[in-house]
Amino acid sequence: MSIYDDWETVIGLEIHTELNTKSKLFSSAPNRFGDEPNTNISEVCTGQPGALPVLNKEAVKKAVQFGCAIDATIAKFSKFDRKSYFYPDSPRNFQITQFEQPIVLGGTIIAEVNGKEQSFAVNRVHLEDDAGMLKHFKAFAGVDYNRAGVPLIEIVSEPCMHTAEEAIAYALAVKAILQYLDVSDCNMEEGSLRVDANISVRLKGETGLRNKIEIKNMNSFTNMGMAIQSEIKRQIHEYMNHPNKPINEVIKQATYRFDPELGQTVLMRSKEQADDYRYFPEPDLVPIILTDAYINEIRSQLPELPLQRERRYVNDLGLPPHNAFVLTLDKKLADYFEEALKVCPHARNLCNWIIVEFAGRFKDTGKSLLTSNIPNLHIAKLVNMIEKGTITGKIGKTVADEMVANPTKDPEEIVKENPDFTPVSDLAEIGALVDKVLAENPQSIIDFKAGRDKAFGFLVGQVMKLSRGKASPKIVNDLINKKIQ
Amino acid sequence: MHNFSAIEIRDKFLKGEISAVSIVESFLNRIATYDKEIGSFLEVFNERALKKAKELDAKLGKGEKLGKLAGITIAIKDNIHVKGEITTCASKFLTNYKAPFDSTAVKLLELEDAIIIGKTNLDEFAMGSSTENSALQVTKNPWDLKCVPGGSSGGSAAAVAARLCSISLGSDTGGSVRQPAAFCGIVGFKPTYGRISRYGLVAYGSSLDQIGPLATNARDAALVMEVLGTHCDKDSTSLPLGSDDYLNQMNSIKGLRIGVPQDFLKNLSEEPKKIFYEALETLKSLGCTIVDIDLNILKYSIATYYILATAEASTNLARFDGVRYGVRSAKAKTLNEVYDLSKEEGYGKEVKRRILLGTYVLSSGYAHAYYKKAQKVRTLIVECYKKAFEMCDLIATPVSPFAAFEIGSIKDPIQMYLEDIYTIPINLAGLPAISIPDGFSKSGKPMGLQLIGPQKGDVRVLAAAYAFEQAKPEFTAIPKL
Repeated sequence: MSIYDDWETVIGLEIHTELNTKSKLFSSAPNRFGDEPNTNISEVCTGQPGALPVLNKEAVKKAVQFGCAIDATIAKFSKFDRKSYFYPDSPRNFQITQFEQPIVLGGTIIAEVNGKEQSFAVNRVHLEDDAGMLKHFKAFAGVDYNRAGVPLIEIVSEPCMHTAEEAIAYALAVKAILQYLDVSDCNMEEGSLRVDANISVRLKGETGLRNKIEIKNMNSFTNMGMAIQSEIKRQIHEYMNHPNKPINEVIKQATYRFDPELGQTVLMRSKEQADDYRYFPEPDLVPIILTDAYINEIRSQLPELPLQRERRYVNDLGLPPHNAFVLTLDKKLADYFEEALKVCPHARNLCNWIIVEFAGRFKDTGKSLLTSNIPNLHIAKLVNMIEKGTITGKIGKTVADEMVANPTKDPEEIVKENPDFTPVSDLAEIGALVDKVLAENPQSIIDFKAGRDKAFGFLVGQVMKLSRGKASPKIVNDLINKKIQ
Repeated sequence: MHNFSAIEIRDKFLKGEISAVSIVESFLNRIATYDKEIGSFLEVFNERALKKAKELDAKLGKGEKLGKLAGITIAIKDNIHVKGEITTCASKFLTNYKAPFDSTAVKLLELEDAIIIGKTNLDEFAMGSSTENSALQVTKNPWDLKCVPGGSSGGSAAAVAARLCSISLGSDTGGSVRQPAAFCGIVGFKPTYGRISRYGLVAYGSSLDQIGPLATNARDAALVMEVLGTHCDKDSTSLPLGSDDYLNQMNSIKGLRIGVPQDFLKNLSEEPKKIFYEALETLKSLGCTIVDIDLNILKYSIATYYILATAEASTNLARFDGVRYGVRSAKAKTLNEVYDLSKEEGYGKEVKRRILLGTYVLSSGYAHAYYKKAQKVRTLIVECYKKAFEMCDLIATPVSPFAAFEIGSIKDPIQMYLEDIYTIPINLAGLPAISIPDGFSKSGKPMGLQLIGPQKGDVRVLAAAYAFEQAKPEFTAIPKL
C-alpha cells in the first residue's frame, strides 16, 4: 500500500507528426530535414506579402490514410482556420490549422500494455503546418524556415490513459501505424514525431477532471515514461501538501518540460490566461471536400497494418501474442524477421532469438540489432543449426555473443572455427558416459520407472555435466531411453 | 497621343504608324510635366519602360507576333508586385521591400507585351477611401487639385484621368477601384471575386480583394479582362475558368432589366440623385426597363464589412513584424520591441485602427457577437442579391453619395467609412461591378454610375458600360491640367 493508491491519473496525448511529402503543406518548397538553413523555402513559407497558400494533395491523402488505418470517420467536408500568435518561427504570425472541422474524427488505437491488448480512443486528427526553428547564438537568435510549412497531422487522443505504460504503449502503437503506412519518418530525435502529454490526477471514484498540465519536448519514449511518472507523483504531493487549498488552485494550467538530469518535470510557462488564438476560417483556401469513392479507394489500398501483421503472426506462424506484438511494433524488425523466415521456417525460435536473445545483448549499448548490421540471414542460420541439433541452445548463446562482437561474421564460420561448439555425437563416447551415470544412479532409474519424469531429466543433466556440455542432448536422451528399458 | 484609347494606340503601333518608344516618351513627358502637381506616381520606370518599348519596336521590325497589349502603357498600384521593384503599399514599413516575385497580373500583362510604366500611390495597405492615408505622398484629383482623387487606388485613377498612361491596375476591397474611378471621371471595373488572380497582390481583405482595371473607356477595360481574367494555379480562390472573349460580346443591352433599389437610395442628396436618374433615362433610351428591387438588408453592409475586412486584415498584416523584411525599428533591443516599435513606427493611424478593430472582433468573448454574426449577415447579403437577380439582369446605383471632397475635409474615420455605402456590399457578395462617368457636379467634378452583375456576369456588365458610354460620349472627358 502506498500513498498513491487512493489516486488515479488521467492522461491525454497530442502527437504531432511530420508527413513525409515531397513538398510542404501549402508551398512547393522541398520538405527535407537536415539541409543548410533557409534553403528549402519559398515566398509562401517565409510569409512574404502577396504570397498565397495552395494545398498539397499528397498531404491530404496521407491524413486520410491514417484516418482509415485507425478506423476513424473521414470528414467529407473539412476546412482550414487561421490560428494567430506572434513568434519569430511563425512566418505569417498565424498558423494554418484545422480547428473547427478537422479531416478525421474519432478512431481507435489498439496497443499491448503489460501483455494485454487494450483499446484507446482517438478524439480527432487534423492537418496543420509546422513552424520554423529558432537557433540561439551568443549575440543573436537566428531563424531557419526550412521546417516552416512542413505538413503535420496532429493526433489528439481522448483522455483515456491512466498510467505511463499505457501512454507509452499508445504512442508506440501510433508510431508503428505511421511507419507501416509510410506517411512519416516518425523520428523523435529529428523532430518528425513529437509527443505532448496532458496530465491530471484525481481521487479514485471522482468523476470530474481536475486541472491538467501539459508536458512538452519529451524527446524519447523512455523520457516520456519518466516524465509522466514524476509528474503524477508531483501532482499528488501538491494535493496532499495543501489539503485546505481549493482543488482548482492547487494545480494550475501550465506547460512543463522534462529534465532528464533532474529526473523530473520543470515549469516552462504558466498559463494564467489561456492564449487567445482568435481562430477564424482561412479565407485563402477552399474547404476540403472528399468523395466516398476517394475515401474507399484509399481504404482499400492500405498496406498491411501492425495489428493485422500481429494477428497473422499469431494465427499463421503460431507466435505467442506478446512476441508478435513486440516484433511488429517496428516494421523494419518485422521485415527483418520475415525475410529470415524464408530460410529458417522455425518461426517461434527465430522470433525468440531476435526479440529476446539478440535484443537483450544490445540493451543499453546505444545500438540495436537493426543498426548492428548483423544480417538476418545469419540469425536464420544460427536458429537452423540449433533446430537441426548441430549445436546446442547453450552453445548458440556463445555463438550469438561472438556475432555481436563481430557483426559480419557468419555463425557457421564461428562454429567451424570452434570444434568444441559442435556437440559430440560419437555414440560410443556418449554411450560410455551414459553407462557411467546409469551405474552411479540406480535410484533415479527406479524413480523414473515409478513415474517420476524429473528423474530422467536429472540423468540427462548428469551426462551433460560429465561431457562438460558438449554431448548432443538429443543423443543423450535417445541413449538413456534405450538403456533404461 | 493621350487622346487615343489604349486599343487605338496599340493598333497604331501594330500598323507601324507610331513607334513604341515614341509612345513611352510621350507619356513619360506628360508624367514629368504634370505629375509633380498631381502626385499619382510613387515611382516611374523610365528605363524599364523605354527598354521594353525598344524591344517591342525590334520585334515588330522583325515581323514577330506581338501580344494583345503591345504598346499600351500601364501603371500598377503599389500593392501589386513587380518583381525586382519596390512594393511600398504606401507604407513606411515597406519602403525597402523589393518584390521577390511577379504578381500573376503583371506577369500576364507583360506576356501580352504591355509596357509597365510605374507604381502608383494608394491609401496605406489599401485602407482608405481618399488616398489621404498614404504615408508617402499626397495625390490630387486632376479635375480639382484641392480635392482627393478617391481611394484607395487614387494614384491609379488620377494617372489615367490625367492621361499620364493608358491604363492602370488598382485593387478593390470595398470600392477602391470604382470610387476613385468615379471621382476622376474614368472607367473602373471590379471583376467577380476570384476572376483575377490575387497572387502578388498584398492582401488586405482576402475574401473581398480583387484587382481591377482603370481605363478611359469600357473597351480598354474589357481588353485587360481578356488578359487577366483567367484561372491561376497559385491562388486557391481563383475561379476554375479560362478567359472570356469580352470584346466580341459588347452587345446591345436592349431588353435588359435594370434593377434599382429605390428605397435604399431614398436618402441620396439632390445633385447625385438627379444625375443618377438621368443616367437611368439614358439606360431606358437604350431599350432597358427599370425594375424596383429590395436591397434593404444592405444597410448592414458597412458594419459587416468593417468587421470582416478588418478581421482578415489584422491577420494578413501580422506578418509585418520587422523580423524577416521591411523596416525594423532601429530602437528595438528585445523581441517584443522589434514587434512593438517596428509596427508603431511603420504603420499609419488608419492601419493601426483597422488592425485593432480586426483583432477585437476576433477576440475571445467577442468573436461570436461580431465576427460570426457578420459572417451570417454576409450570407444574407449574398442571398439578397441572388434574389434580386431573379427579377433583373443588372443592378444600377450611384457609385458614391457625392463627388470628390476636399483634401483634409473628412476627419472622422467613421464618416469616411459611411461614404462607401454603395460600393461595399458588392465586395461582400463577390459580384462584378463597374463605375462609368455619368455626369458632373455643379462644381464640375465627375460622378459615376455603378452597374452590377450577378457572379460571373462580367461580360454583360462591361457590355452595358460600353453601351452607356456610346450613348453619352460627353462624359468621357479629359480634365484641363
